[in-house]
Amino acid sequence: MIINHPLLGPRDAAEFVYLGDAALIDRPDPSVADAAEKFHEYGYLRDNPAGEHQELWYHEQGDRSWLVVTRNTLSHEISKVELARDVAVARGRGR
Amino acid sequence: MSQTNRIKGGLVDRSQTLKFTFNGKSMQGHPGDTLASALLANGQKLVGRSFKYHRPRGIFSAGSYEPNALVELRTGAHQEPNTRATVAELFDGLTANSQNHRGPLEFDVMSGVDLLAPFLSAGFYYKTFMWPKAFWEKIYEPFIRMSAGLGSLSMQEDPDVYDKGFLHCDLLVIGAGPAGLSAALAAGRSGAKIILADEDFLFGGQLNAETYAVDGMAGSGWAAQAVAELAAMDNVRLMNRTTIYGAYDHGIFGALERCTDHLPTSGGKPRQILWKIYSKRSLLTAGATERPIAFGNNDRPGVMLAGAVRTYANRYGVAPGKRVAVFTNNDDGWRTATDLADKGIEIAAVIDSRDGTPRASIHGANMVMGGRIVDTAGRKGLKSLTLSNGQVIKADCLAVSGGWNPNVHLTCHQRGRPNWNDDLSAFVPGDDLPVGMSVAGAANGTLALGAALKDGRDRANEIVKDLGFKASRKAAPKAEDEAYKGAPFWHVGESRKRAWVDLQNDVTVKDIKQSHAEGFRSVEHLKRYTTLGMATDQGKTSNIPALAIMAECTGKTIPQTGTTIFRPPYTPIPMGALAGRARGKNFRPTRLTPSHIWAKENGATFVEVGNWMRAQWFARPGEKGWRDSVDREVEMTRASVGICDVTTLGKIDIQGKDAAEFLNHIYTNAFLKLPVGKVRYGLMLREDGIAYDDGTVARLGENHYVMTTTTANAVLVFRRLEFARQCLWPGLDVHLISTTDGWAQFAVAGSNSRSLLSKIVDDGFDLSNEAFPFMACAELTVCAGTPARLFRISFSGEMAFEIAVPARFGNAMMGVLMQAGEEFDAVPYGTEALGVMRIEKGHAAGNELNGQTTAVNLGLGGFVSQKKDCIGKTLSERPDLNRDDAIRLVGFKPVDPAKPLLAGSHFINKGDTANMANDQGWMSSVAFSPIMGHSIGLGFIKQGHERKGEIVRAVNPARGSEVDVEIVSPHFYDPEGGLQRG
Amino acid sequence: MVDLNLKAEPFLGHYSKGFKGVDLREIDDNSLVSLALPLGEESKAIKAIEAAFGIPVPDVGHSALAKNGAMRLLRLGRDQLFVVFLYEGMDSEPYIADKLAGAVYSTDQSHVWVTLEISGPSARAALERICPIDLNPDAFAIHQLARTNMEHLGTIIIRTAPDTYLLMSASSSAGSFLHAVETSIENVA
Repeated sequence: MIINHPLLGPRDAAEFVYLGDAALIDRPDPSVADAAEKFHEYGYLRDNPAGEHQELWYHEQGDRSWLVVTRNTLSHEISKVELARDVAVARGRGR
Repeated sequence: MSQTNRIKGGLVDRSQTLKFTFNGKSMQGHPGDTLASALLANGQKLVGRSFKYHRPRGIFSAGSYEPNALVELRTGAHQEPNTRATVAELFDGLTANSQNHRGPLEFDVMSGVDLLAPFLSAGFYYKTFMWPKAFWEKIYEPFIRMSAGLGSLSMQEDPDVYDKGFLHCDLLVIGAGPAGLSAALAAGRSGAKIILADEDFLFGGQLNAETYAVDGMAGSGWAAQAVAELAAMDNVRLMNRTTIYGAYDHGIFGALERCTDHLPTSGGKPRQILWKIYSKRSLLTAGATERPIAFGNNDRPGVMLAGAVRTYANRYGVAPGKRVAVFTNNDDGWRTATDLADKGIEIAAVIDSRDGTPRASIHGANMVMGGRIVDTAGRKGLKSLTLSNGQVIKADCLAVSGGWNPNVHLTCHQRGRPNWNDDLSAFVPGDDLPVGMSVAGAANGTLALGAALKDGRDRANEIVKDLGFKASRKAAPKAEDEAYKGAPFWHVGESRKRAWVDLQNDVTVKDIKQSHAEGFRSVEHLKRYTTLGMATDQGKTSNIPALAIMAECTGKTIPQTGTTIFRPPYTPIPMGALAGRARGKNFRPTRLTPSHIWAKENGATFVEVGNWMRAQWFARPGEKGWRDSVDREVEMTRASVGICDVTTLGKIDIQGKDAAEFLNHIYTNAFLKLPVGKVRYGLMLREDGIAYDDGTVARLGENHYVMTTTTANAVLVFRRLEFARQCLWPGLDVHLISTTDGWAQFAVAGSNSRSLLSKIVDDGFDLSNEAFPFMACAELTVCAGTPARLFRISFSGEMAFEIAVPARFGNAMMGVLMQAGEEFDAVPYGTEALGVMRIEKGHAAGNELNGQTTAVNLGLGGFVSQKKDCIGKTLSERPDLNRDDAIRLVGFKPVDPAKPLLAGSHFINKGDTANMANDQGWMSSVAFSPIMGHSIGLGFIKQGHERKGEIVRAVNPARGSEVDVEIVSPHFYDPEGGLQRG
Repeated sequence: MVDLNLKAEPFLGHYSKGFKGVDLREIDDNSLVSLALPLGEESKAIKAIEAAFGIPVPDVGHSALAKNGAMRLLRLGRDQLFVVFLYEGMDSEPYIADKLAGAVYSTDQSHVWVTLEISGPSARAALERICPIDLNPDAFAIHQLARTNMEHLGTIIIRTAPDTYLLMSASSSAGSFLHAVETSIENVA
């Protein structure tokens, strides 16, 4: 596979490490009342879609950036690649 | 033997003669020959025995899809089995041998197996060898293995070298036949970067095999001219002897280049290269493969594909027979008759399954329209054939054509399915092609030459325009446009004799019918039940006829019956090529510690720790075993001072205004108040609450920290930190960079460590306990100006320091430390002594942080700050991880001090049966403690912290050991910690 | 008094060898300092770097050379650069930090990396065997760089001249890295 890195251009997937669902960005707030339940979902429950999937890839043999890759799990078509940092900020993560 | 069947013409170089042997017989050929063409030239028809029935077999085709002519090439360690003679390029001195027979090829003692055929039909394996059960391993399997099968291995290490590589192009053209050459010319002229690959050693494909003219010259001559033009273009890479074996995601292709297989020796250069080709676009111009017709005894040597017969005559100047008959269901088969007749070869008959008038007139030939062959004769080579009307025709070669299948294989490697084309009675590329792929020429069902040439050019022009290049206006080359005409005809129903469909796997029409009768109707089941389409040819000539026969059985159409899925590789890839350079110690990189050379010169025994080579111990003369060395290293370190290279621990430089807050998120314990110049132990959890890694963090400046990780987790922790930094807390100003390799770091441990170091730190640096206490750190210089970092940390329990210098100084530093330590009897120690001392001290390491244990289990519950969040905190509080009977890390000593302990032993209470229900925990680390004088262990046991003094059994059924052990504190050595603070 | 003189040793012993069409040598006299751009103050940091060294900060995936050729900036990531420069002293990081006066975070990387220079008409053909990056001259211009992996080793490759490339890889695996590059050269030479 080839991942079209937003800063570096197309790179072989062999340079990357796969983590999984980009929902892992959405770490729950530990201070809420049902934090344990939220963390359980965060840690253990994943969608496994046959189709478009947002997933985290780490450019370990490259610029060390985490990417959010939108990939079709049926065709491997990659429709979008974003820096995970930008996605995280857009989703409201900060300090 | 002379070249009795060599005729004039062809593309072989008659000015040179090459000698080779087949089964020990000396033969001759010419450059440009394949082994198959040379064997035929020498009149050698019988070349092997079949897989299951040991039937005599000959050369069937002239391409990589050859099912029959599998031979062993070369000798000794270079011997390679199952090589297709039809693609093996002849060279001087080649040694070839036939396969799968006992005794001479002509008198295979196993040929009696053929008489057992009624018992060996489809699925016989599963039916026949069921009982008695004990017979399978001792009798049935050895017999089957001996009697069935293909070539044999040399059982020696492959002496050749292999390589891999990466190529990039705008357009990859797969196959250099008429469409491919025409496409490459057009695309090349546009300036796009082109790779043109072909499995053959000679570019031109079918142009070299036929007598068609292109642009008014011989097809092969036009091909040579096209290749010359392409070779002169800087933007074109020509790769002959290269098979594109797989189409992968996003325009990536696998290619196998055979670099030296056509040479007597590889000369130390890679024999083959496995290329990964990155293409923006690809054009499949892989041509078509002829398919046979099944009829009685259609497997005799001399029965060949019609296209192959004329390929041997036209390209190689070889007559596959003296008197040739043709059996065809299409017009193309007639070309074989006319081409051969033009060369003066006697044509015995042309038998066309279609009714109507003969398509050509050939002098002296018997023309049988609507004809059927029901049987053949000739034990080791064809002698005659019998028609359904009883007529017997003498012939020593029968050219069979059942039509042509476009080579759609690569179009299906991404699970695309081909479409059925009724005009061709064949599958053509489907609508769902791999990304970026187009198809042209015969592979796309365009079988007429002129049309294929134009198709190649037009597709190439479309592609380059799409890529932003200016397409050349040059017209496509001109050639005849004889349309393909044929009518489907798959097998002769009137035949009473066995009719072969898959020659390689000995599958007959009857086997397919039987598998249908037994309920195996899906093509995938048919394939697995009969083995049809397996092995080196992957059914390239047999899949479609088999499908047609299955369709006939089920009463469905062929497209309704389906097609098997084509998967990479297109043709076999040697294991050596897949391994490439990754053999022996080159399987993975080796990392050396900075003091490696010093250690080697000083008697170190090394151990692999991941990719690292670490000194395990340093043997001294007179020491009888590793324990002697390790005990001494521990004793001398504890008595005075020892030095150990600990560079392998991960070091991560962490800087930023928010670095402390970041560390607070990462570690269970608090980091906001760590002062500059101090080190703190830190424990990391996984988000599920399980302990992950531990290490230290030194604060070197206001915004500057250095983290250490365990050796094993260095890369993984870095990855997690980047995840936390970029994905979880992107608002923090914090930056990470690994410095693991940059600093040579040495533990200097023991009561004399301070005295030793005071000799090398530059003047003015105060090492006293007041100025530089336990858990202090500093940047300083040593040995007159070399920058260094000093940490007052201890893994051994002794007063200890870790000193780091830039890596290039590391080897010299080890020598300097040892010199400075001479007066204290300083000793270098390795990973074993390091391990013994950490167990004596009761420090958890990888055996304890094994992915199953929590901070509470490890006795580190106090390290989980209740005042802040961190990764893993919430889930670490789950009730089940905090039960009263949770396992706890404690120490164990044998009740009988003479007894050794075993790691992996499980604890069972006295009086309980040793089973999982009574399992109390396990021993994670053990060592012989020279200080205690007996074995000691660390382990986890339920409520261990409240059970000190209790005796339990450490049971290890796998190794037949049971030892009574006493539960003790994990801190065997200096439990109060006075020494490390001293 | 024992001699406690500490000497630096190059990772590959100043390796230098000529092959048919390729020269390969260890570059051991460069200092290397990484610069991290503080969050939210990236443009200020970039201005400070440009002012301190007189080199325009390149885009990610590119490098830029000082006019006198003694310093090269490598832009490895959005917030990360390396400064590669000729420097005699052992205090290369404080030297750089001093010039940038707190505008960036700096870390000495001089001893983290081993550097090989591969040059000559067959250099690209040799690199084809281990480098997954497209090194076609129009795809990989002079001063362009890529951080990738070669034979399982993380590597930074910089094209410094038409047929010349700098290869930087982890110093602890310098021997394996040299072996990988040497094998590639021998396989094409």
